[in-house]
Amino acid sequence: MKTTKKTHQFKALELKVNENSVSPHVIYFKEHSVREHTKDKPSGRTLFIVNVPPYADEKGLINAFSAAGTVQSVLFSTSPNTVSTDTNSLTFIKEIEKPSFKICYLIFKKVAELDKALKLTQLNPMNANGHEIKVGMKKWREEYNNSIEQPKVIKERIEAFMKDHDKKTELEEKQEKQLEQEDNEGWVTVTKKGKVQSFARTEKVESRIMAKEERNKKRKELKNFYTFQIRESKMKHIVALRQKFEEDKKKIAQIKQSRRFKPF
Amino acid sequence: MVKHEIENSLLDDDESNIINENGKRPNDSGNKDGKKRIKTKSLYRQPTANELNRLQETENLFNSNLFRLQIEEVLQEVKVKEKTVKRFQEWFAEFKTYLLTLPEDDTEYDLTEKSFVKQLSVKLPISKRHDRTKVMFKFHKFNDIEIIGSYSMGCSISSKLIVDLQITVPAETYTKNDSINYKYHKKRAAYLAYIASHLSKSEIVEEIKYIFSNGCETKPIIEIKPKGKLSNHLSVRLNLACDAEAYKLHRFSPSRNNLRESWLFSSENQENVSEIGPPTPYYNSSILCDITASVNQEFLRETLINSENLKQAVTLLKIWIRQRNLQVSGYIISMLIAYLVQSKRINNIMSSYQIIRNVWIALKSSEWDTKGISLSKEQNTSIEEFHEHFPVVFIDRTGYYNICWQMCKGTYYALRRESTLAVDILDNGKINSFIPLFMTPVTPLLQFDRILCFKNLPEVKEAVLNKAPKSARVNYGLDDLSLVTDILYNLMSKGLSNRVDLIQQIVEADFSWSVKKKLDKAKKEGYKEKLMFGFILNPENAMNIVDKGPPANMPEAEEFRAFWGDKSELRRFQDGSITEACVWSAHCWADRREICRQLLDHLLRDKYDIQPAQLQHCGGQLSALLVRRSAVGAQLEESSLRVLQAFDELRAELRALRRLPLDVSAVYGISPVFSYCEPFPPLPALAERNPRRRGDTSLIKDTTQRLPEYIPVNEAILELSHSGKWPGDLQAFRCLKAAFHLQIADRLKKQFSLPTQACASHVDVLRSGLVFRLRVAHPKELTLLRREAEGGVVRLRDGRESVALQRDTVLLPALRGALHGLHQRHPCFGPATCLLSRWLSSHLLAPHFPPTLVQLLVAAVFLRAAPLVASLVAPLSAAGGLLRALRLLADTDWTREMLLLDFNDDLTKDDVAAIERQFQSRDEQAPYMYVVTSYDGALPSAWSRAGPSPRAALRAQSLARAALRYAGTALLADMKDDILETFIPSLKGYDILIHLNPQLVPYSGERLSSKPRKRPEGSVTDIIPVVEFNPVQLYLDELMSIYEDFAVFFYDVYGGDVIAVLWKPDIHEPRDLQILKANGLKPVTIDGQTKYKVNIEAIIEDFKIIGEGLVTNVTVNNE
Repeated sequence: MKTTKKTHQFKALELKVNENSVSPHVIYFKEHSVREHTKDKPSGRTLFIVNVPPYADEKGLINAFSAAGTVQSVLFSTSPNTVSTDTNSLTFIKEIEKPSFKICYLIFKKVAELDKALKLTQLNPMNANGHEIKVGMKKWREEYNNSIEQPKVIKERIEAFMKDHDKKTELEEKQEKQLEQEDNEGWVTVTKKGKVQSFARTEKVESRIMAKEERNKKRKELKNFYTFQIRESKMKHIVALRQKFEEDKKKIAQIKQSRRFKPF
Repeated sequence: MVKHEIENSLLDDDESNIINENGKRPNDSGNKDGKKRIKTKSLYRQPTANELNRLQETENLFNSNLFRLQIEEVLQEVKVKEKTVKRFQEWFAEFKTYLLTLPEDDTEYDLTEKSFVKQLSVKLPISKRHDRTKVMFKFHKFNDIEIIGSYSMGCSISSKLIVDLQITVPAETYTKNDSINYKYHKKRAAYLAYIASHLSKSEIVEEIKYIFSNGCETKPIIEIKPKGKLSNHLSVRLNLACDAEAYKLHRFSPSRNNLRESWLFSSENQENVSEIGPPTPYYNSSILCDITASVNQEFLRETLINSENLKQAVTLLKIWIRQRNLQVSGYIISMLIAYLVQSKRINNIMSSYQIIRNVWIALKSSEWDTKGISLSKEQNTSIEEFHEHFPVVFIDRTGYYNICWQMCKGTYYALRRESTLAVDILDNGKINSFIPLFMTPVTPLLQFDRILCFKNLPEVKEAVLNKAPKSARVNYGLDDLSLVTDILYNLMSKGLSNRVDLIQQIVEADFSWSVKKKLDKAKKEGYKEKLMFGFILNPENAMNIVDKGPPANMPEAEEFRAFWGDKSELRRFQDGSITEACVWSAHCWADRREICRQLLDHLLRDKYDIQPAQLQHCGGQLSALLVRRSAVGAQLEESSLRVLQAFDELRAELRALRRLPLDVSAVYGISPVFSYCEPFPPLPALAERNPRRRGDTSLIKDTTQRLPEYIPVNEAILELSHSGKWPGDLQAFRCLKAAFHLQIADRLKKQFSLPTQACASHVDVLRSGLVFRLRVAHPKELTLLRREAEGGVVRLRDGRESVALQRDTVLLPALRGALHGLHQRHPCFGPATCLLSRWLSSHLLAPHFPPTLVQLLVAAVFLRAAPLVASLVAPLSAAGGLLRALRLLADTDWTREMLLLDFNDDLTKDDVAAIERQFQSRDEQAPYMYVVTSYDGALPSAWSRAGPSPRAALRAQSLARAALRYAGTALLADMKDDILETFIPSLKGYDILIHLNPQLVPYSGERLSSKPRKRPEGSVTDIIPVVEFNPVQLYLDELMSIYEDFAVFFYDVYGGDVIAVLWKPDIHEPRDLQILKANGLKPVTIDGQTKYKVNIEAIIEDFKIIGEGLVTNVTVNNE
């Protein structure tokens, strides 16, 4: 029930590509309101839009809402949960996003403009003011041509990135070194690069240690000392045979189902 | 209390359980006092003696539990139902009494006159050619009528059940002289007609017909359709045997003559007793068959009647023979079993599994063509004498009759070959051998690499008969078809010699006709003999260009020249020998696959003047699809080989690169072209004609309609030598990789002056006009991608990206290598794969079947261990490979079965069991088509994860079935020369069709409808051209990524200009609007309420918007 209530808060308007569009998509929007607002999506000025067609771009949406006022920024996303869009981790190769329907945050300059936008009855077409959204052959051609880079440019990018990266790792190392120091209560944190040797805490290492323990345990055990052990091993043999038999019976049942054993 | 009750119920359950298990001995458990024994349902209950016996017995006596259970099931299935048996008994009692009321007749008839026939009101079941034979016939009444054959012994198969009855004709009927010149046959026919005439008045017989089988028209029998429901289950055949006392058997020794030349060749009947012609073993056998029938029948009955296991074995072998399409009768099989019992190789104490295994082993090592076997204790005629006259020898109880007198060598070799295979299959512990042996039928089209049919058989028969030697014609008498078959078989086996492993004739010459009609008349109305020859080629020799004969100065040379005619020429070979030889013309691999055709065409034309247009060769079809249409002369294998050669050179250069921080240690090609699986291998790119525009061919620039030619890249993976210095951060790792790409590009340019183009994710190199895309791969990247910290412990988890990376950098190189090896072993693997790719694609299924999956499907056909593949030998023709792959696709029940490809026998039995368990316990997300290779490791069925969906797979299956049906009738019945029609899709039934601008579609020149044209000539480019720019693929990717929730897309990637769209079934249903599921919805008002529906119109408009410049038109199908 809750969800249906929520949907009624959305306002639905048609978003046209250009004046001639006959059957455009309908976008749904409302004021962006969450408990904790982040800096890039300030409360009161942010419009939250869903069902944005995949080809809509920033300028297109600005054009669409141009009747409401000036737009400060446009943020696209695929899911509404992203807390903050800018991440501080470095990326060298940008991941190519698969095109899909999007969610969009439109941030207006003024609070009043958002109110105005919520009261709109019609949106302007996206292709206006000399802008034309890039689709089809033009887009693919441009993408291909952009993918071809001069070696020099790549080299510069690599160098810049490595510089940043080195700085970052240096910083981290320093932090680790600090951790190595005895704290007030005399505790020392063991790190990878410290003087105190430790083993790497990975799944692989852990399972290796466990396997070793197991082996040791097994070696100590006597297999055929007590009568019950002998009896049990015999039983186990029978059980294994039975199990195989049961499995085979199941298989037969399956084959029966599919072919019914009619050879002709 | 409650607990007690539960225990009780458990106990009851268990009781029934045990009965089930010991299905055969339900009485045992009834005797036991259930209360005293403590039983639980668990596996840990105390075993009973019976159970223990059974479990252990199975281990020893049968291949496996599974095999035993399956044998039991199948025997149950083919057993004749009790109801039918009862009904038949009643019917037979009535039939017998009726037949014994047959009146005696003392008149003597002259069979050349019409009086006899007139009186009977039925016709004689023999042809006009017997008119020359003059005999007097008097009917002597028989004493008894008995049931013989498999039904009497209880080893018959319930489907198409035939009950054989036998009447022994009294000895008085025949005179001493009747053995010659078909007199016996004529009298026999008269006797048969006499009985038929009586039967035709009976009320318990619904229909009565004459029938002969295998073209043996001199020995007809009566086929009876019993009245009532019984006829649904069985038909009855009435056979005439001859009293053993009628003739002394030695009259029919193989070297005796009983058919006079003068009778056969002159139309006038001059009885010249003194003239004795060449031996007529074939004719003799046709009489011996009747005389010895009772002796052999009695012997069989003695051996089999009380031996359950032997009978089971006979039944199983009969099922096997029918499935394998071998023309061997159940009678021969029973006799063989009796022979093996006699020679103490098998006995009734053995389990049926052990018996059939022993029979197969005996057949495998048998040599009936040179060392025949005999059931007779005292050998009257030496076996050598039989070998002189018969191709296959298996002598009966009396020592005079060759049971295999009608068997051609081809049939025997086929039987022996299949037995060898059967033993191999049994010994392969990794597969459920029962199903390929007993449950999978084969058809000629799937069984043979090539099939030769005659478009006009009567003419061929005539031509061959005219040139046949007289002695042979006398031997075969009126049985022309057998003679022709034999002659052609010998000719072909001599001509093809070691090129073929097997030649098998496929004869269909059974005919039944009404007793009221004359044979010659009935034949005209609806009798068509069919003769085909199936060939299984020898992979090593089939494609030899030269047939080397004896040295020129040897006497054999003359014979060689005589055999080959003008094809034979004197040649000097590299080793210095000068010999006679035949050289066949073949310029490329496709031609070499057709050498057998050339050879057969030549031989038949040379020897019998049969023109090639009269012959229909199946197996070489579809080769038109393996040549590029836009560049005539570019054959698949040759183009692929050029890529491979260029790649080998590049590989050497990469290894030799200096001044790299890490050396290149290995280079693996991963594109399909590296295993000959690419239908359109890249051709060297040509330089731009206009010198002024040569400078910037790397970019796409003009906005007009024309695109640069689509040039695919050949992808390869580089491995660098070991280093511990790779960074532990994913992004930094990739950055460093990019630096390597840059460096490699730079060095290749400087050291070998190859044009290169580096980019962050790969390097493109141009070599011999071909573009190779190299990527550095390192296992650490995979580890970094999977890395996931959890509670301070680093764990490795598979994500979508890491799976893709592992597939492309770890699994694919190994798999590509294996597939390349497979093509080297089986040169038809590549072409067959290309055909299947094109077939799937032509039915617009390309987006659903990943290329690697297609390759694996075909590979399964070529790998012997794959279960369920009808024939277990790799095909040696591309079309054959395609048909078998289609059969595999269509016949596999993908919901219950998986496909396991074990390339080099890497998997142990336990591995296979583990994979099977994994398959059984798979979840809903598992791929629908489960195809596992021995390289998959932790990613089972890695290659079918991207598709197909159940719907797409089912569609492919039904299309495959239709294609197989079509191919079967078109090739073998209608004698069409091509089956390209199976590659034409139907665009019906799709919701929307998106039409594309053909100018922008890659490979549009390769479509079946486009005209072949020559490739423009020019120098090879030295600048990297625009590569991998496929706008249609980009468009399709976008469509699939955006609208995967709403629609399914179909497209032919090899030049199709239509994308077909099918809406998902729930597209028209109203939905709720949720933030995460608001995509593509529009508000509609239903009954005053606002509901949401998918905005279909907007999506259709989107198709146009997204494909701007590429899409010309979108049509909606309003049906």
